[in-house]
Amino acid sequence: MNASRTDPDPTADGGQTAHVVDLRGVCHSFSGTPAVTDLDLQLESGELYGLVGPDGAGKSTAIRMLTGLLAPDRGEGWVCGHSIRRPSRALRQAIGYMPQQYSLYGDLSIDENLDFFGHLFGLPRQQRRERKSRLLSITRLEPFRSRRACDLSGGMYKKLALSCALLHQPRLLVLDEPTNGVDPVSRRELWDLLYEFVDEGMAVLLSSPYMDEAARCHRVGLLDRGRLLAEGEPTRLIERFVHRTFLLRITGRHQVEDLIGAQPGVLALSPEGGDIRAVVRQPEAAGFRQWATSHAFTVRIEPVAPTFEDVFLGLLKDPAAIEERGGA
Amino acid sequence: MITELSAIIAKEIRQTARDRKMLGLLLFAPLIQLTILGFAVNLQVERVGMVVADEDHTAASRAFAAGLTAGSTFSYRGHLVDGQEAVQAVSSGQASIALVIPKGFGRSLAKGRSTAIQVLVDGADSIQGVVSQNAVAAYVAGRSVDLMTERLQQRVRQSGIPATIAPIQVTFRHFYNPNLDSYIYFVPGVSAILLLVVTVVVTALGLSREDEAGTLEQVLVTPLRPATLVLGKTLPYALIGLVDMALVIAAGAMVFDVPIRGELWVAFLGGLLYMLTTLGLGLLAGTLAKSQQQAFFNAAFFLMPAMILSGFISPIQAMPSWLQPVTAFDPVRHFVEILRAVLLKGAGLTDLAPSFVALAGIGLITFPMAILALKRKLR
Repeated sequence: MNASRTDPDPTADGGQTAHVVDLRGVCHSFSGTPAVTDLDLQLESGELYGLVGPDGAGKSTAIRMLTGLLAPDRGEGWVCGHSIRRPSRALRQAIGYMPQQYSLYGDLSIDENLDFFGHLFGLPRQQRRERKSRLLSITRLEPFRSRRACDLSGGMYKKLALSCALLHQPRLLVLDEPTNGVDPVSRRELWDLLYEFVDEGMAVLLSSPYMDEAARCHRVGLLDRGRLLAEGEPTRLIERFVHRTFLLRITGRHQVEDLIGAQPGVLALSPEGGDIRAVVRQPEAAGFRQWATSHAFTVRIEPVAPTFEDVFLGLLKDPAAIEERGGA
Repeated sequence: MITELSAIIAKEIRQTARDRKMLGLLLFAPLIQLTILGFAVNLQVERVGMVVADEDHTAASRAFAAGLTAGSTFSYRGHLVDGQEAVQAVSSGQASIALVIPKGFGRSLAKGRSTAIQVLVDGADSIQGVVSQNAVAAYVAGRSVDLMTERLQQRVRQSGIPATIAPIQVTFRHFYNPNLDSYIYFVPGVSAILLLVVTVVVTALGLSREDEAGTLEQVLVTPLRPATLVLGKTLPYALIGLVDMALVIAAGAMVFDVPIRGELWVAFLGGLLYMLTTLGLGLLAGTLAKSQQQAFFNAAFFLMPAMILSGFISPIQAMPSWLQPVTAFDPVRHFVEILRAVLLKGAGLTDLAPSFVALAGIGLITFPMAILALKRKLR
């Protein structure tokens, strides 16, 4: 009835943007507690963007606003030129969304779930069949198509959810913690699928609490307490990291870990095998190394190249941990 | 719109058919409940336990007591020595009513003097109390008339003055329900209540179940319109409701001999309208809830007043005058009226036009409200 409802199209007036995603100063708070503050985010087609941050950072809220499920308190955003404030059918058609939690009908089979969502997106019979069989074959779910969704393993379930989100061939695919509760093999499979779709020109935005996954994105945004701390290509972010990382081998780790953590300039400690990685402020780095060497519990200490996780942990403590020059 | 709608309906039916418990709840529970409720909801007061304390011990007192316990209203529970014991019997719950015939009852009657008896009534159950009291009063009045007539006739014969004695005779004819069986009156009411519970609870829980399961979120990111979702989640249950209604009417006719005097399509048309209002209310209850539990309480919050205000339990005329107009907003009231009128009186569509219009009006308020609430919830 209101299928042709149109949205203010930013590409139409002034040619301001051709971004697939364009968020401008988007805010949302839940009963006074800000969940997302002044989020700016742009995403191009063929780009894989990772929104990373600890639990409660505001990733899901950002995603829910982006998909039109939650209206921003302030700010505006567009997906393919369609406003997210007043979600239109065109906006819905542009987005494929896979929520973090279970979102398919457990008592319906793979086939029935796909058909149901295919119908809701208004796909004609022929198209529905073709896309369904293509998705079933690339996700290798074909042999299980009559199995009910509640009987699927975590990985198979995610692949089905992904297929349901892709049936209408959206220009933007949004995934909220897609690899949560998925075994490593299926995780790898999911990533391979994502790269395939990105290569075909789809824009993909995913959230993840895992740094190793973030490092596989084209671009990442580090979100903490609702604010975007830094954004850019993972390798460039590591290059711009101003602090130092050390790998320590110590004896009696449990006794001295707190002591090490309390040293001046120490931003973060994280275990790596039996050793400890320490992210230390650049000015205090030399002092820290000396202090560590002078103690008997230190078996060995050596400077190492920071990983993406070190960068992220450092940023959580020090928002200025990334050099401003160059970059994204 | 049509493909989306039929997809949702097909999905709902598929899910319901796979859920054995749900299916049983939807189709068989109403039948079982109708049978139990139909027997239980019965205003006929019968076999009220009565004890007799006959302090008189004469032929007249025995005949008086025997006459009172002979009918179906009272059942004789034993003989007591005196009024003291009678008080004991009623307060201990051994009997609900006690008849105390004082010493000298028979002699006074024989001499033509006025005499008194005492009746102790357990008033805790007000309906039973009132019915018992009326039954005793009617019996006593009848006996008094008999005695006086007898005496008068005796005098007339002795004096030789010609006279006739003719008290007023009353004949009652009960229309639509000649034996005043309360089943016949209550079964349509019980049917309306059962349909109400099934449709409101199922839809209230249906929506919040999707909310809890996370499936609602996945549906909401599709281009589906809220109105389509509302229709898709109600139409299948309206259909199930109509099946329930047919089962309940059939069971009412077979188990309780409820007549079907009118045309059934009128009843079913009323049922369809009725269910659109109750389904709308169920959706509203579900939409306003954050969990299935909350949805259930929302539904219950609506169910209780809807039942009480429907006139199903106590007549609307017995309600205070300020409350009576409120019942016009109760869909249950209108549907009970339609069902009773069609089944018992053979009423047609034109007779029931006001009820149909009222139901349609309530539906036109609740349904858009549910859609609006859903639209708001979705954003």
